[in-house]
Formats: sequence, structure tokens, C-alpha cells
Amino acid sequence: MSAITSNYKKIKDLNPHESLSAGTSLCAGCGGLEGLRLALKELGDDVIICNAAGCMTLLSVYPFTPLRGSWLYTTMGGPVPAAQGVRDALDIRIQQGDMPESENLQVMVLAGDGSSNDMGMGPTSSAIHRKLDFIYFCYDNEAYGNTGFQLSAASPFGGATQTAPSTGLHPAGAELPKKDLFEIWRAQNPTYIATVSPREPIDLANKFAKAKLMKGPRLFICLSPCPTGWGFDPKETHLIAKLARDTGIFPLKEFFEGKVMHNKVPRKRVPVERYLERQKRFQHLFIPVRQEETLAQIQSRVDAYWSQYE
Amino acid sequence: MKPNRKMMLTGNKAAAWAARLARVEYVPAFPITPQTEIVETLAGWFADGTMQGKFTNMDSEHSMFMAAGAASASGVRVFTASSSQGILHGLESLHTLCGWRVPLVMVNVSRALATPITLEPDHNDVLITRDSGLIQLHAETCQEVLDLILIGYHMAEDPKVCLPVLVNMDGFYLSFTREPVSIPDPGLVEKFLPKFKAVQPVFQASQPQARASAVFGGETYSWFKIQQDLAVRHAEKVFIEKAWRFSEMFGRYYLPVESFRMEDAEYVFVMSNSFATKGKSAVLKLRDQGIKAGLLKLCMIRPFPEKAIAKALKGCKKIAVIDQNIAPGRGGIIYPEIVSALFPEKTAGQKVLSVIGGLGGKDIREEDFGTIIQHLGNPKPEGPLYLYGEQDLNTFLKFERIAKPEEVARS
Amino acid sequence: MLRIRMHGRGGQGIKTAGQILGSAAFLAGFQAQDFPLYGAERRGAPVTSFTRVSPEPVLERGPIGIPDLLLIADATLLESVRPVPLNGADESTTIFINSSLAPETLQQYYQLPSLPVGLNLIPLCRHYLKKANLYSSALASVGARLMGSIDMGFLLEAVEIELEQQGLAEKQIEHNKELAQKVFESLTSVNLQERERTVIKAGSLALLEPRLAADSAPIILAAGNMALRKTGNWRVDRPEIDYKRCNQCLICYARCPEGAISVQESGSPEIDYEHCKGCMICAEECPGNVIQTVSETEDGS
Repeated sequence: MSAITSNYKKIKDLNPHESLSAGTSLCAGCGGLEGLRLALKELGDDVIICNAAGCMTLLSVYPFTPLRGSWLYTTMGGPVPAAQGVRDALDIRIQQGDMPESENLQVMVLAGDGSSNDMGMGPTSSAIHRKLDFIYFCYDNEAYGNTGFQLSAASPFGGATQTAPSTGLHPAGAELPKKDLFEIWRAQNPTYIATVSPREPIDLANKFAKAKLMKGPRLFICLSPCPTGWGFDPKETHLIAKLARDTGIFPLKEFFEGKVMHNKVPRKRVPVERYLERQKRFQHLFIPVRQEETLAQIQSRVDAYWSQYE
Repeated sequence: MKPNRKMMLTGNKAAAWAARLARVEYVPAFPITPQTEIVETLAGWFADGTMQGKFTNMDSEHSMFMAAGAASASGVRVFTASSSQGILHGLESLHTLCGWRVPLVMVNVSRALATPITLEPDHNDVLITRDSGLIQLHAETCQEVLDLILIGYHMAEDPKVCLPVLVNMDGFYLSFTREPVSIPDPGLVEKFLPKFKAVQPVFQASQPQARASAVFGGETYSWFKIQQDLAVRHAEKVFIEKAWRFSEMFGRYYLPVESFRMEDAEYVFVMSNSFATKGKSAVLKLRDQGIKAGLLKLCMIRPFPEKAIAKALKGCKKIAVIDQNIAPGRGGIIYPEIVSALFPEKTAGQKVLSVIGGLGGKDIREEDFGTIIQHLGNPKPEGPLYLYGEQDLNTFLKFERIAKPEEVARS
Repeated sequence: MLRIRMHGRGGQGIKTAGQILGSAAFLAGFQAQDFPLYGAERRGAPVTSFTRVSPEPVLERGPIGIPDLLLIADATLLESVRPVPLNGADESTTIFINSSLAPETLQQYYQLPSLPVGLNLIPLCRHYLKKANLYSSALASVGARLMGSIDMGFLLEAVEIELEQQGLAEKQIEHNKELAQKVFESLTSVNLQERERTVIKAGSLALLEPRLAADSAPIILAAGNMALRKTGNWRVDRPEIDYKRCNQCLICYARCPEGAISVQESGSPEIDYEHCKGCMICAEECPGNVIQTVSETEDGS
């Protein structure tokens, strides 16, 4: 299997089936929801989602579920071990002849960046170590979004959150760089890792098409522009996602068979400011005075990242 | 080892044997003293093909209970075991999977909670799960450990129950103690407990379901919670039925509470778990001395068999509830439960004394029972009575002098 | 005691409106209590807020079941299933609806128990705040005015206090105060009177018995039934496709987070207005600019 197989070339190639129905309580313009919708279009209905407490917990609210597949609410730290339990049980039933292979499910974890980088990380690392056969979908909105946008380990340097606001003493807001979930996973050599963006449906669909045929731990980090927490008009979700790509802040990439490959590499990177200035969470970097040093640091981190590959 | 005969087994081995006889298909595990021998034994049996299914080494008890519940919701018979800090670490998961309404059996090997950290038993660990929705059965002997696990699966898998059952045994006093245990014939066990068949939809492609979705509005939340309460209460009836069936097949009979020499007892010790054996011995000796003592052993803690307790204690004037646990600021945890069970049909002149002993594995000695009898004779209300003798204090003070020598302490 | 209940949507300032009214009552010397109710943080999702005002200590908590004053910021909510804004409202409840329609029309259309007070806040908000649907100050002002027991001075002070706490710039606070004053002067007081005390009577309890776990476990078997929930009334703006100019590139279909745009057999995209939340991504992303943004609120709905 090649890491660069592309089955899909245009939007008309996308699977017309919607595994996720409309009507959810998620915010209008939610980038994570769009990423999940596109992912499930490709994965289909024979999926069980083990969900960690977070924004997406609001997908299924009794007596409603938007999924044509299955859903299990777990806890903030518990979706991966729950996936382990389901996977093991299905394997046992198939192996013992209690259940035909046709009843099998793709086991998927759905967790936000908070659960993925903080509370749920220990159990996840252990499951990768056990080579658990599952897909991990992390919708990364760079904070604890469901509780109103507090700092997570995935919150970016220079962004303001409710628990790391920009003040005279701490002008930058969040003072630490985002955890690199991609590299943390890569250190354990899982089957597959990919970053995806709701703005890139073809790239996303191709990655899921490839991953669904593989076994073992497979991670998707989905850039999830959050109108509510990031502070932009909901209609700009894809514009923000595009700028994240074009500035090089969010590299689209894959890890497979020991190699990292970049997809859709921006030829000429747009300055990060174009991305930052459109979001309220970075407003303090421009108003009332430009925080030149912080802006330069954000730019130089992005440049340093790409210089490894250029 | 040939089954269907008596052999010397530890409580831990008896638990492993019960899981094997129940044809458990899945064991997610995490080690903790004094439970580890259970999962080690099961790991061996899965590894050599004696048991069919899967044994998964998990990364914590929080993860282990989560995997256990999710596997049960996916249609296999599950067993797991833990103790002490493990129960605390997994507590969130335990509440969660009781809410999922999934059947499984777990063993807790009681060990006191940190801080200070110790390996020896008391019941603060198991009682922390008291309000989680687990069904709880407490064992006095290694035989009871085995038998209660088999009966426990019936309770867990009952169509109106579908909840995890916890079987408790004391660390060291049962977990590492060998005594003769009768291993029932596997064929008979299979008749008593057939292959697991889920009584509710399980995860598979043809029956998509959303389980444990969020709720808004107290009506929905309350309804599911009240149903949990009704299910746990219903489990008492299931236990009595299945224990009766068990006795018909295997000759050993269990009730939610066991009355020992209660027929004319004037002094009653209310106890649970392995120390009940010490209590029974004291009862016999006291009777030889002309003191009419008796013992009420609590086998079932959840559901709380309050009617059976009230009936057994009706007319008893002097009752000591011996709690091997401590809720700082309140005292014993079981004491108020017993008092509330007695309240609707209170016996005039009844004294119910709260006694706290056996913390962190501290022995309850014969003389302690004598002390309790003496205090039960005191007409004034008192308590809790700490079973901590002068001898115990002297031992501690010796340690304290080493920990804080006078010359250091003064400076 | 007077009990005021406000209904609106996340992002419209309903929580703040309840707080401004609470503060205004407090400043006017009353005992006051305010409290918002919303799910998780959801823009567009229904939000309710409650304010209690009394000369005596307030011995109540939580949601208000029977409101004396019902303020409805978003008339589309009158068709919502949960919460039902009219719950508990009777002929002695004063109802305010933010709408351009005549009170008689509103009463008839929504089958209201009393003739409502109507005022269209949208043009006022747009004029003073440059935003059509930010109702915090306007709605609080409606409440204070209709109650009749709170002077405008206290209201304006409360606007200042609450909005300052939210970190609004001085200029914006000034505009809000102007808006509040304008609204206050546009209405007349109805001089709300306290309801008679109700008599406590016993209710009837349900008979609850253990059911089969298959029926009492928290399971949803109706896969995909979320579509029964209509989120179309979250919209402030509506996207409309100009089919004459649409070249069926389907960017809109690919970009819609709700999956509310489907592809017809003809290859044309079709918007599901029962579910479209009005994020307007489709209009923003359409390469040919053939999706128009049409306001939902001003055409009378």
C-alpha cells in the first residue's frame, strides 16, 4: 500500500452517504463537526464511536443520535480503554464463532485536544503500545471548548484562553507552545498518523480511505476552527482553516511505514499574522500595541518547522 | 489440578477458579497487592489455552474498568479484580459503567486506603463504591469467594438487573490464606450458569445504538437513576432465588444476612467479611462463659437487606456494629445503615453501639469482644468505641520515639 | 415577588439581559436574584434567563415555572419544543415579543393567553449597536420598563456595571445606554402586580417498577434520529442559491458542517432549511458568489 494513493480527485467523488445526520446541538460553523462528517462519509455506518467528554459529547443527546453507526459515551480519560474493551470483545466473538465477520465494527475514538493531550494521553500511549486496532479522531480546537475555552496542552503560544488570559503581567496569553501530538504518537511507531482539515475534503477522504483498510493504531488530528472559542464569524471557518494551511501553522501530513510525508505544502507561506489577526483569541497581539516579539516568535517557530523539510 | 474435589486454595485462587468455572471470556487486568495472584492465575490459564477468550494487560484501573464495561456491552462475559487504591483510581469508571447497565463480576480484595499507605486490609476501599450502583457481596471464607462469584454472575446477568457485581474478600486474611475449598464440577456449573447471552442489544453492525448519551432535564436523568436503584433492589430477590438453586445443586446455601447463634442472643455482634470468623469463635466462647452472644453477618451490602436485618435483630437489646472502616467525622460507615434499618420497628430499650476496629489490618482480638460486651452493658449512650488498646498504644509510642527522638523533636 | 423569564438564543445576550435587570432591581433597593439556563456553550441554541425581584428576601431558586413577565427576544423560539417559552404563562402573564408584527397578529398566530406587548428591537439594536441581534441592554430595558418599579437611572447604571464587567469598551457601553434609554422611552409601564400566593397541595407520584434492562438502560436504537430535531430556527440569516448561476461545483455541499446541503439527482445542491443553522459558510465559500445572504429576522418570518 502506498502512502500517496489518491482515490479521490474531486468533490463529486466523495461518498454521497451521510453517516451523521443534521440536527445536532453543536455550534453553527463548527470545524470539528465538518471534519467528522467528512470522515464518517468515508468510514460508513459500521463504526462504533467511543467518545470522551468534550464538545462532541453533545452529538448524541437522549433521545436523539445523529449517527447511523454506534456510540458509547465514556469519560474524559476513558475512550481509548473503552475502545480496547469493544475491540477485544468483538475479536473474541468472531474468533469463537459467536458473531459473523459481517457484524464487525471499525472502532473509533472521538476526543478533543484536551482529552487527547492531557487526561487521556496515558491510556492512549498504552493502547498504541498494545497495538490496539482502532482509529483515533482528535478534533483539535486548541482548548477545552465545551466548558467555554480554557487552556489545554494544545492551546497555541500567544493565544488567549479563559484560564490563560492576556494581561499586563502575561501579555502573550498562553506562554507555552502547543504539545506536538503527532510527534508524541510517532515516537511509538503506530500504523498511521495523519493531520486533516475540514477545508481539504479530498485530502481527508483519501487519508480515511487508506487508513480504514489498515490495522492497528491510527491517529487523525483534525484542525477544528472554533468560531465560538477562537472568535471569528462562523462563516469564516474554512477561511481560517485555509489560512492555517497557507501560513504553514497547520501542516497537512501523514506518517506511514516509518516516513513523514507532507501533503499540500504551501509553496510560499503567507505570514502568520494573516491567520492570527482574524481571531479574537489573538487580538491582544495587535491591539492596543503590537506584540512584536511574540508575533516574531510565532513566525519563527513555523519557519523552523518547515526548514526541516525545505 | 482435577476439579470437583476439595483442595487447599487461597481466596485469590478460589476467585480465579470461579472465573474459570464461569467460562469468563474476557479479563482486563492491572496488578495491585493483594489482588495480583488472581489475575496472574487467570493470565496463565488464558496463556496455556485452559481458558478461551482474551486476557488484556491494561494501564490502570480506570482503564481496566472502562474496558471491562465496554466489552460487556459488546457481548462477552467479563471478569476483573482490583483492590484499594485501584478502586479509588477506577471509581469514575465504576460509576460510569453502572450507568451503562452492563453485567460483569469483579473481585475487590480489601486493603486499607492511603494515606498512610499500607498493604493490610480494612473496608474503606470497598465501601467507597457503596453509592456507585454496584451490587456488593462480601465473603467470609475462600469457599464463599468462589460460590458468590458464581451466584454473582446470575445476579449481574439477570434481565432486570444488568449491573456489575462486586465480590469482596479481605486481603491477607482470605486472599493469601489457604483453606479447603470445594471446586464444583464444571458440567454442573454449566447447568447452573449457562453460556453468556446478552439480554440487551450489544455493539455489532446490524444493531446500531447510542449508549449512555448526554441528557438534559432532570426527568430523563432521574428516570435512569431511579431505574438503577430499582434494578439493584431487585437483585436481592434474584440472589435469594439463585442461592437457593445453587444450594440444590451444590449443597451450600447463602442468604443476604447470616444469623449465627441468634436464637436467644442478648448480645449481638454485627460483622462482615473474614473477621466474622473471629466473631463466631468469640460467640461460642462467650456462650461457654454463660453470656448469650450471637452474630449477624452481612453477606450482601448492596442492595442493603434492611428488612432481613431488622427481622434478625428484632427484640435484641444489645447490638454492637463492628465497622472495619472509618469515615472521619462520622465514625463507622455501616453503623448508621444498621440503625436506620432498625428504626421503623425499634425495640424498646435497644442499645446499638458503634465499634471501630481492624483498621489497616489491626487484629480484632478475643479480649476486644469482651470489651464490647462490657460497653454494651453500660446504660449510657456512647461511641464510637475505638478498639485500640493500651498495648497498641505502647507499640505505637515505641515507633514514635524512633521517628521523633526527644532531642530532635525539641529543637 | 415578580418573576421575569427571558427566552433567546446563545449569542444574543440573554444571560446578560437577566443580569442587567437583576442589577437594576438591586440598585433600586429591591431584593433580586438572576440565573441563566443553557446547555453547553452553544451559539444559536436556546437560552433562558430568570430574574426575581421582591421587596422581601427571595425564597425561591432555579427556573421560574409561572412567570409574571415573559420576554421573548426571538419569536422563532415560540415554535421550539424545548424549552417551551409559553410554559406556565397564563392570562395574567405579561408577554413581550420582539417582533415587527402587530400584537393582535402575534396573539392569534402563537395562540397567546394574553395580548402581548410588541416592539421590534432589531432596527433599534442595528441603529445603536450596529448589530441586529444583541439584546442584552434592550431586553433588560423592556423588563424594567414594563415592571414599572425601576427608574431608568438605575437601569442605565446597571447597563454600565454589567457591560463594564464583560470588558466592553467605553464607547460601546455608551451606545448600549442610549439604546436602553430609547427602548425605555418607547414603552409604557404595565405596572406588574404580584400574583396571589398559591396553596400547597399534594401531587401524584408515578408508579415506578424495575423494568427489563433492555428497556431501562440508556440506549437509543433509532439510529440517525437526530434529524427529527430541527435546527433551522437557529438562523439569523438564510443562504439562498441562485440556481440560474450555480455551476454545480458542490463546494457548498462539501463545506457544510451540518450536512444540510444535499446533492439532487440533477447534480444541483439543495439546502435543507429545516436544519441549516445559518452559519453562512456556503455563501462565503461559493466560488461564483451565487449564494445570497437573506436576513431571516426582518422579513416578518
